[in-house]
Amino acid sequence: MSVTEERVPEAASGFDPSRAWRVHPQIALRDESFGALAYHFGTRRLMFLKSRLLVELVSALDQYESADAAIDAVVPEDERPVYRRALARLAASEVIDVR
Amino acid sequence: MLQSEDPEVQDAEALSEDELDELLVEEVSIDGMCGVY
Repeated sequence: MSVTEERVPEAASGFDPSRAWRVHPQIALRDESFGALAYHFGTRRLMFLKSRLLVELVSALDQYESADAAIDAVVPEDERPVYRRALARLAASEVIDVR
Repeated sequence: MLQSEDPEVQDAEALSEDELDELLVEEVSIDGMCGVY
Protein backbone atom coordinates (compact mmCIF):
# COMPACT_ATOMS: atom_id res chain seq x y z
CA MET A 1 0.00 0.00 0.00
CA SER A 2 1.35 3.39 -0.84
CA VAL A 3 1.53 6.41 1.41
CA THR A 4 -1.10 8.80 0.14
CA GLU A 5 -2.73 12.00 1.24
CA GLU A 6 -5.88 10.00 2.06
CA ARG A 7 -4.12 7.91 4.71
CA VAL A 8 -3.09 10.93 6.75
CA PRO A 9 -5.69 11.36 9.52
CA GLU A 10 -5.25 15.10 10.07
CA ALA A 11 -8.98 15.63 10.60
CA ALA A 12 -9.11 13.06 13.38
CA SER A 13 -6.28 14.79 15.24
CA GLY A 14 -7.64 18.31 14.76
CA PHE A 15 -4.67 19.20 12.59
CA ASP A 16 -5.58 21.56 9.77
CA PRO A 17 -2.55 22.03 7.49
CA SER A 18 -4.17 25.03 5.81
CA ARG A 19 -3.82 27.03 9.04
CA ALA A 20 -0.74 28.80 10.42
CA TRP A 21 1.12 26.80 13.10
CA ARG A 22 4.03 27.39 15.45
CA VAL A 23 6.02 25.56 18.08
CA HIS A 24 3.91 25.58 21.23
CA PRO A 25 5.18 28.23 23.68
CA GLN A 26 5.56 25.63 26.42
CA ILE A 27 7.80 23.41 24.27
CA ALA A 28 11.57 23.31 24.61
CA LEU A 29 13.41 21.81 21.63
CA ARG A 30 16.89 20.40 22.10
CA ASP A 31 18.88 19.43 19.04
CA GLU A 32 20.19 15.88 19.00
CA SER A 33 22.12 13.88 16.42
CA PHE A 34 18.95 11.95 15.47
CA GLY A 35 16.76 15.07 15.32
CA ALA A 36 15.55 16.70 18.51
CA LEU A 37 13.95 16.18 21.90
CA ALA A 38 10.77 18.15 22.55
CA TYR A 39 9.71 18.62 26.16
CA HIS A 40 6.33 20.12 27.01
CA PHE A 41 6.45 21.98 30.32
CA GLY A 42 2.66 21.89 30.63
CA THR A 43 1.89 18.25 29.90
CA ARG A 44 5.37 17.00 30.94
CA ARG A 45 5.47 14.91 27.78
CA LEU A 46 8.74 14.12 26.06
CA MET A 47 8.76 13.53 22.30
CA PHE A 48 11.52 12.32 20.03
CA LEU A 49 11.58 14.06 16.64
CA LYS A 50 13.50 11.43 14.72
CA SER A 51 14.50 13.39 11.65
CA ARG A 52 16.62 16.50 11.16
CA LEU A 53 14.27 17.51 8.37
CA LEU A 54 11.28 17.29 10.74
CA VAL A 55 13.10 19.56 13.20
CA GLU A 56 13.80 22.01 10.37
CA LEU A 57 10.14 21.88 9.34
CA VAL A 58 8.79 22.39 12.85
CA SER A 59 11.22 25.25 13.50
CA ALA A 60 10.20 26.94 10.24
CA LEU A 61 6.42 26.72 10.78
CA ASP A 62 6.13 30.27 12.13
CA GLN A 63 7.67 31.65 8.92
CA TYR A 64 4.82 30.42 6.70
CA GLU A 65 1.15 31.25 6.41
CA SER A 66 0.18 27.58 6.65
CA ALA A 67 1.64 24.21 7.55
CA ASP A 68 1.14 23.15 3.94
CA ALA A 69 3.23 26.09 2.75
CA ALA A 70 6.00 25.15 5.18
CA ILE A 71 5.88 21.52 4.07
CA ASP A 72 6.02 22.53 0.40
CA ALA A 73 9.03 24.76 1.07
CA VAL A 74 11.02 22.40 3.28
CA VAL A 75 10.11 18.79 2.45
CA PRO A 76 10.79 16.96 -0.84
CA GLU A 77 7.54 16.20 -2.68
CA ASP A 78 7.61 12.41 -2.29
CA GLU A 79 8.09 12.68 1.48
CA ARG A 80 5.38 15.24 2.21
CA PRO A 81 2.59 12.82 3.26
CA VAL A 82 4.81 11.30 5.95
CA TYR A 83 5.83 14.69 7.29
CA ARG A 84 2.24 15.97 7.18
CA ARG A 85 1.29 12.95 9.29
CA ALA A 86 4.14 13.73 11.69
CA LEU A 87 2.87 17.30 12.10
CA ALA A 88 -0.61 15.94 12.84
CA ARG A 89 0.89 13.78 15.57
CA LEU A 90 2.81 16.74 16.98
CA ALA A 91 -0.38 18.84 16.96
CA ALA A 92 -2.24 16.12 18.86
CA SER A 93 0.54 16.14 21.48
CA GLU A 94 0.57 19.96 21.66
CA VAL A 95 4.15 20.22 20.42
CA ILE A 96 2.80 22.62 17.80
CA ASP A 97 -0.29 24.78 17.99
CA VAL A 98 -2.27 27.22 15.82
CA ARG A 99 -0.95 30.79 15.76
CA MET B 1 9.52 7.14 -7.15
CA LEU B 2 12.72 8.90 -6.23
CA GLN B 3 14.83 7.28 -3.55
CA SER B 4 15.03 9.31 -0.37
CA GLU B 5 18.35 10.00 1.32
CA ASP B 6 16.60 9.59 4.67
CA PRO B 7 16.37 5.90 5.61
CA GLU B 8 13.59 6.72 8.09
CA VAL B 9 11.43 7.82 5.18
CA GLN B 10 12.70 5.54 2.43
CA ASP B 11 10.67 2.45 3.44
CA ALA B 12 7.51 4.28 4.50
CA GLU B 13 5.34 2.58 1.89
CA ALA B 14 5.89 -0.81 3.53
CA LEU B 15 4.93 0.31 7.02
CA SER B 16 1.71 -0.25 8.94
CA GLU B 17 -0.33 2.67 10.33
CA ASP B 18 1.20 2.24 13.79
CA GLU B 19 4.71 1.98 12.39
CA LEU B 20 4.08 5.06 10.28
CA ASP B 21 3.03 6.95 13.41
CA GLU B 22 6.31 6.06 15.09
CA LEU B 23 8.43 6.79 12.03
CA LEU B 24 9.29 10.40 12.74
CA VAL B 25 7.73 11.07 16.14
CA GLU B 26 7.90 8.95 19.28
CA GLU B 27 6.42 9.88 22.63
CA VAL B 28 8.12 8.82 25.84
CA SER B 29 6.43 8.75 29.23
CA ILE B 30 8.52 10.23 32.02
CA ASP B 31 5.86 9.84 34.74
CA GLY B 32 8.05 7.35 36.56
CA MET B 33 10.86 9.88 36.80
CA CYS B 34 8.97 12.30 39.07
CA GLY B 35 11.18 11.52 42.03
CA VAL B 36 14.36 12.09 40.08
CA TYR B 37 14.07 15.86 39.91
